[in-house]
Amino acid sequence: MSAADLFEAQSATRLFGGVRAVDGVDLSVRRGSVHGLIGPNGAGKTTLLNLIAGVFPLSAGALHFAGNDITRDSTAERARSGIRRTFQNLKLFLEMTALDNVAIGLHADTRCGFLAAVLRTPRQQREEADIVERAMQALLFVGLGGFAHVRASTLAYGHRRLLEIARAIVAAPQLLLLDEPAAGLNATESAHVTELIGRLRDRGATIILVEHHMDVVMSVCDEITVLNHGRRLAHGTPAAIQDDPAVIEAYLGRSVEDDRARD
Amino acid sequence: MAEAVVSSSYAPAAERRTVRRVTWVMLAALVVVPWIEPDKFVLHVLSLIAIASIVAMGLQLLLGGSGQLSIGQAAFYGIGAYTSALLTTQLGVPFPLALIAAGVVAAIASLLMVPITRLTGAYLAVATLGFSILVYLLIKNEEWLTGGSYGFIGIPRPVLFGYVLRDAMYAYYLCVGVAALVYLVFARIDGTRFGRAINAIRQDADAATASGLPVTLLKSQCFVIAAFVAGLAGSLYAHEVRYLAPNDFTFWKSIEILIMVVIGGVGSLPGAILGAAVVVGLPEILREIGDYRMLVFGGILMATMLFGEGGLAALFAALGRYGCSLWKRLALRSPTSARDAGR
Repeated sequence: MSAADLFEAQSATRLFGGVRAVDGVDLSVRRGSVHGLIGPNGAGKTTLLNLIAGVFPLSAGALHFAGNDITRDSTAERARSGIRRTFQNLKLFLEMTALDNVAIGLHADTRCGFLAAVLRTPRQQREEADIVERAMQALLFVGLGGFAHVRASTLAYGHRRLLEIARAIVAAPQLLLLDEPAAGLNATESAHVTELIGRLRDRGATIILVEHHMDVVMSVCDEITVLNHGRRLAHGTPAAIQDDPAVIEAYLGRSVEDDRARD
Repeated sequence: MAEAVVSSSYAPAAERRTVRRVTWVMLAALVVVPWIEPDKFVLHVLSLIAIASIVAMGLQLLLGGSGQLSIGQAAFYGIGAYTSALLTTQLGVPFPLALIAAGVVAAIASLLMVPITRLTGAYLAVATLGFSILVYLLIKNEEWLTGGSYGFIGIPRPVLFGYVLRDAMYAYYLCVGVAALVYLVFARIDGTRFGRAINAIRQDADAATASGLPVTLLKSQCFVIAAFVAGLAGSLYAHEVRYLAPNDFTFWKSIEILIMVVIGGVGSLPGAILGAAVVVGLPEILREIGDYRMLVFGGILMATMLFGEGGLAALFAALGRYGCSLWKRLALRSPTSARDAGR
């Protein structure tokens, strides 16, 4: 693992029964970069993201984050050490306000428990004010400042996607895993997400982005890894990936030559 | 699950103020009750309701807060009752200490629940039910300790600051006082880091874990807190009734506690008290119809559930809002407001 890398997966493998969902994938993510993870449906992108987040253990291989071996760490341990994620199929706390949803992201950073809550100690009140302040800033950052006290269940779909991001970034994680943040969004909304990812990188976050919207991926990623059938098919800059014949074939199901012949 | 324990933090400030006002009015009403109705039996039943509401509020935190369905709360209640009875009779421990000790011993016993907090739903429910049955069998069979089926007799009345609470009125104040304290304590976690965290693990455990929440620790804390207050309630019960029998702590008692929380409204703290009042009070009101009372009781349970998931708390809130709007409409028509409008 080179010093410039924040995260590295070494031949990460995950079996589901006989299926090799992720099969010996190597991935190194440079500190401060946006690393795209693309591939056709069923290529293993979300599985790889889940492996990085620690949803299930690796069948083989190893994961390193910020110089530590995190292969055996639990999801919560990884979250506390600075890896946060969003979910492809939105997992918000629907009965809570937007602000409280984001505040949950700060739980690991703060200390006051049951007794402090009951006694409302000065420390608890300071901490609570700090939580509200930081959560509010995260909401403003994603553009949901006006929805702080709205229940998550009443937010529009596009706003829910942004709320997921706010909850994931509020604790300023070193590594942010975004699982299809633009899925189901219209052009304006997905442009906003693209711009948001750019601002996050400017703030110093390292991001692994799984996304189907090619315009989002190509405009915001510094590097891209292409997966197909659980294996790494290609790896490089957006420009290199766009011209890679193997990638084009995996996506379109025919070779470049066929394409040319038809033309 | 309709409302969360911390639900009022989502309510507008005006509504929260109303809730606070209603709380203080209710507390004041509870203080004056013995002057209006000094009947010993009525006060005794009200004390039992207060005791039951303490256990129910504990389960409300567990179920309505952290989303853990326990059918084993009678176990902690029983442990508290026998702990307090044993400490006061065998070791001469003063009542206030025995009360706290009952809570602490029940809380320690609840640490046995830590390994099962990773279970959810029906699996957790059956595991806690198993614990309830286990504790019942211990109480029934360990005669040297608990008196077994003969029961535990000769439990002294509560003594506070050197005064024996001989009068039903003082016992009432003790039980209602502890219940009010538990209510105010639980109401405090509203909108705090702890309150948000337990609500989060109920609503989406995956998202909570991904945010770094220690789910097992939080769930265990809820079990310990719920068991502590159940232990307090057990102690109050022991010294209120002054005779304990294993049959007071069967799994049926656990189910009664669950009924209190569900008909009161899962997630509502005042709902737990309403539920306790119905489950404890209704059979007393229906005493005259003898054996039919459980039939009527069962019917009322089913009818309450038909009102929807919010239980009695939601029903009362709806009636309250209806009453308010009616009042406003009437007030607008009144001559004073008409004159104000004309100015």
